[in-house]
Amino acid sequence: MKALIVDDERLARKELVKLLEDHPFIEIAGEAVNADEAEKMIEELNPDLLFLDIQMPGRTGFQLLETLDTVPLVVFTTAYDEFALKAFEVNALDYLLKPIQPDRLTEAVHKIQEKERMRDGRGRDSKLGLNDQVFVKDGERCWFVGLTQIRMFESDGNYIKVYFDNNRPMIHKSLNALDEKLDERAFFRASRKHIVNLSWVESIEPWFNGGLMVKLKGGDKVEVSRRQAAKFKDMMSL
Amino acid sequence: MITRDRLYWILQIGGWAFYALIQIVGSKIAFGGESVSTTQMVFLSCEALCCLFLTHTLRQLINKWRWFSLGMSRLIPRVVLSVFTLAISLYILRVVVSFPLGLYNNEVAFSLNNFIGLTLVFTVIFFIWSVLYFVYNYFERYNKSLKLEASVKEIELSNLKSQLNPHFIFNALNSIRALIDENPEKSKQAVNQLSNILRSSLATGKKGLASFEDELKIVKDYIGLEQIRFEERLKAYFDIDDESLDFLVPPLMVQTLVENGIKHGVSKLTEGGSILLKTSVTNDRLKIQVRNSGAYVNGERKNSGGLGLDNTTQRLKLIYGDEATFRILTEKDNFVIVEIEIPHIH
Repeated sequence: MKALIVDDERLARKELVKLLEDHPFIEIAGEAVNADEAEKMIEELNPDLLFLDIQMPGRTGFQLLETLDTVPLVVFTTAYDEFALKAFEVNALDYLLKPIQPDRLTEAVHKIQEKERMRDGRGRDSKLGLNDQVFVKDGERCWFVGLTQIRMFESDGNYIKVYFDNNRPMIHKSLNALDEKLDERAFFRASRKHIVNLSWVESIEPWFNGGLMVKLKGGDKVEVSRRQAAKFKDMMSL
Repeated sequence: MITRDRLYWILQIGGWAFYALIQIVGSKIAFGGESVSTTQMVFLSCEALCCLFLTHTLRQLINKWRWFSLGMSRLIPRVVLSVFTLAISLYILRVVVSFPLGLYNNEVAFSLNNFIGLTLVFTVIFFIWSVLYFVYNYFERYNKSLKLEASVKEIELSNLKSQLNPHFIFNALNSIRALIDENPEKSKQAVNQLSNILRSSLATGKKGLASFEDELKIVKDYIGLEQIRFEERLKAYFDIDDESLDFLVPPLMVQTLVENGIKHGVSKLTEGGSILLKTSVTNDRLKIQVRNSGAYVNGERKNSGGLGLDNTTQRLKLIYGDEATFRILTEKDNFVIVEIEIPHIH
């Protein structure tokens, strides 16, 4: 699997490359020295995995993730950053503390392999499907959210509210741009304001003016505009 | 160690026993050996006992009514009044005691002159007791508050003492690990630099002040290690006045400033930057300047870094009072200067 190492310190990168020699499963596709460079390389190389330092000059590792439409698997590497690691809810894949212990790296690689097996059976699509994950940050808290978990997206000014579990953090994107990226078999543009995850739809009722009212598991209700209603019926009835 | 209560009783009993003794010996000298009978001696002892009882009652009341928290203007009239009351009470008690001893004399007991004279004497005695009591207590309270202040100061200082940033230690170790393959000689040197810094940070717990010369060595080791990490992105310059070497400085303080400069300045810049440590001595005062690339946004402290500078100012205040100054300046938007001036402590 293709990995990209992002760290501003040459020696730190070198050390990680050296340690990864024992894990031929991971092929190092490139090394980036800051977030800007990493962003370009991610676009070019489309890596499956990032080894990402958090503290870097310019943008931090978190800020880099926030700008990505879809995030690859991420392993954070940091010297000591309780604060940053605490910010993480449960689903960070893993993190490695520098100096990296070979045993810990082996453990992390196993986790990565497992995760990769789960994601397997699907070619890397340019569209965002249910197998992909996004990185969301709200104030001090951050999440890696699998798209399966997301019930819907709601536009709010220049931001999008992401509904999952009991959280609704905001991401700085336009709903139109997001709509283009999302796999239309999994997500449906219900109206100007909403995109719903079809696998979360619980019931559909007719609504005013030929529109529809969609009820999602968990209780959220979304109106489907008249224009989209016909398309929606088509999709749901196969 | 004598407890306060015990000390009180020793002084109280000893004091009044001494009073009785003086009375007895005094009247013996005044009236000649025979004129002081055993009954008289018993009477004088009883009087001392009454004094003990009365002053002890006063002490209970002083504590109960919290007279120690009163200001002088409210305390003095209260003391005068109670001392006077005590004197009258003693006079009455003396009369009562004189009955069973057969010393009672109607004319003496109810003589106005006698009453006024004795009451005044007793008032003065009780007043002296009060003064001693209050002075002792005030003194002790003052002592205690001084001790408290000193221990608070000590705790504050030890909390403020620069501690090495764990982020730095682990990053340095990480660089050294990589360096072992690449440049074994340099990695050995780095291990020495790191151990010097660790040693001095462990030793700072014991030392209040360190010579600037020692501090400078630490700073150089520190910068050396950061240069291994940041490589060509960190440039360091020194401009040290020889006279500054024998000044005493709080240990690791300059190191903290340099660390701050690197952490918030140089390390945030993709292209890297420089750090300059400059010292000068004028009028027996040491001026230390740390100048680093980067911008200081006043009031904006995104992470714990601001704490370093806050700690430094507090530390300076605790050690030097108003004798030290601390300033942060910006130069042309891309340099930050932190400047400290401290007096020479010999």
